Amino acid sequence: MSNETTNDAVLALDAKPEKKEAMGIFFWFCLAWIGLNVLVAVFANVLPVADPVNIDFNHYSVLSPPNWSHWFGTDGNSRDIFSRVVWGARSSLYVSISANLIGFVIGGSAGMYSAYRRGKIDLLLSSVSLVFIAFPALIAVIAVLSFWQPGSEIKVIIVLGLTSIPIVYRVIRAATLSAANQDYILAAKVQGATDRRILLRELLPNVAPTGLSFLMLGIASIIGVQGTLAFLGIQQGDAPNWGEMINESRSSLDQSPWLAIFPSIALVLLILSLNFVGDRFRARFDVTEVKI
Amino acid sequence: MSPLLKVTNLRTTFTTARGTLPAVDGVNFELGENEIIGIVGESGSGKTVLSRTIMGLNPRSNINITGSVLIDGNEVVGSSESDLRKLWGSTVSMVFQDPMTSLNPMMRIGKQIDETLRVRLGMKKADAKAAAIELLRKVGIPSPEERYEAYPNQLSGGMRQRVVIAMALACSPRLLLADEPTTGLDVTIQAQILNLLDTVRADGQLSIILVTHDLGVVATRTQRIIVMYAGRVVEIGATADVFHSPRMPYTKALIESTPKISNPSHTVLPTIPGRPPDLYSLADGCAFAPRCSYATDRCRTERPELEASVEDGHSFACWNPLEINQNVSLRTSKGQ
Repeated sequence: MSNETTNDAVLALDAKPEKKEAMGIFFWFCLAWIGLNVLVAVFANVLPVADPVNIDFNHYSVLSPPNWSHWFGTDGNSRDIFSRVVWGARSSLYVSISANLIGFVIGGSAGMYSAYRRGKIDLLLSSVSLVFIAFPALIAVIAVLSFWQPGSEIKVIIVLGLTSIPIVYRVIRAATLSAANQDYILAAKVQGATDRRILLRELLPNVAPTGLSFLMLGIASIIGVQGTLAFLGIQQGDAPNWGEMINESRSSLDQSPWLAIFPSIALVLLILSLNFVGDRFRARFDVTEVKI
Repeated sequence: MSPLLKVTNLRTTFTTARGTLPAVDGVNFELGENEIIGIVGESGSGKTVLSRTIMGLNPRSNINITGSVLIDGNEVVGSSESDLRKLWGSTVSMVFQDPMTSLNPMMRIGKQIDETLRVRLGMKKADAKAAAIELLRKVGIPSPEERYEAYPNQLSGGMRQRVVIAMALACSPRLLLADEPTTGLDVTIQAQILNLLDTVRADGQLSIILVTHDLGVVATRTQRIIVMYAGRVVEIGATADVFHSPRMPYTKALIESTPKISNPSHTVLPTIPGRPPDLYSLADGCAFAPRCSYATDRCRTERPELEASVEDGHSFACWNPLEINQNVSLRTSKGQ
């Protein structure tokens, strides 16, 4: 039958293996760097590094430049900078990931729900989110944390998490809106799918790539904000973090630049990697008909 | 026996900033078991809104629907979504226009089919998979076991439309609405998909509404056709009757503006002058009057209602109907 042969021809054309766009060596380098930071952050307490907080009086060496026993040098209290940079990764990633989780769980689900439901609830949530976005977030964060002293990590997480909700809401809502208007949502609906199934099984997988790439960018930006807060002295605490280290180095920047250089490099490299990986994810998972 | 689908005096209007837009204006028709009917008309004639209203799929806001749509005795107009959900899939289902967008790009096609089977029919995982593969085979997908694992972007447009049809048929609906199911496909695939729809109709107790702007699509495969213009039914009847002796000048003009292979090459294709009317400001008379060469003063002031022609079930809305059996012919696309 002629139909059969046509089908086979179509199939043969289809059978070509899909060519995947290469991610590039820089992408893998960035991903590896993020992985290294995560590993170091998780295992900071078992790694063979010096105590980052307490002063080692047996090998007292104030402000020594980088050498074999202190790779990144020491600070004014004889604490090892390498160890403090390693522990700083833990603080940065812990605060940033936790704050983003708050933002994504609340803002993301609100965004998906209101984009799917539309109507009054969408109008209300969108207007409220716009009001919050219009107000400069950093000023709000600084104001709240200055009032709610002392600024421990957990308070920073809560405040940064809550302030990230409106913008996460906007991004996820926009992504859901474009997915919800597709025919396959309608098709699922006319096969009798419930709202819950459409949200979780049809929409979530299609919104997830956008969410993931935005999460990367969000983690990067909150690491930066946390650094700012620590630099301004608003976040205090025992655990070292990069912003605080840069802040402490201010007075002796001309004599002992290593105090600022190493935490700055760590900060820049991690944020850069996160941004780059997030950007590539976005480009990669942006499943459109263009590629087909 | 009551018909499977009974549409009575259906009116769908949208309220917009410019005023009220009657997209579907007083439509009546019935559809029996195992029947295939075509709805044709230009873009903007209300075909798609009509099919979505029959499904109960229109947006909730700024819309006003009156009249009645009875599917197997269930009223669709005014029903809540949870009531409609009981009809969707198992009694009435739909195939959408663009197979590129009607499959979830992030889900394997097998999953998309057997999820419906599991959720709606409560099948076990293995049974659902077997049933899904059987459906894929039924719609003519070669090596369905392998295709079951494929993502939509690994399939061609024609294959995807077959998958969409398989999904729509998963819960053995009794009525299938196909809204321009072949518009996005090339002609050879079009014919295959249409033949497929006709085969599944002939196989089981399935009625089909085929919405299209392509007369070639409906000419050979439908039993009856409905011609729509400006939201109203202007002619309805058995396909052969409507094609061989159209009574409404609009129908005749539509048929004549279809390319015919019997014409010598470079024949200028007749077109319908003017454009579809602005639905916001419809005049009192026949909506087609401004473009109609037969129009009289009466056409411009008084709206014609559907009236019966000589053949059984053939009706038209025109004050100056064409003579019966004018020599209008159309080469159909059968066997393409």
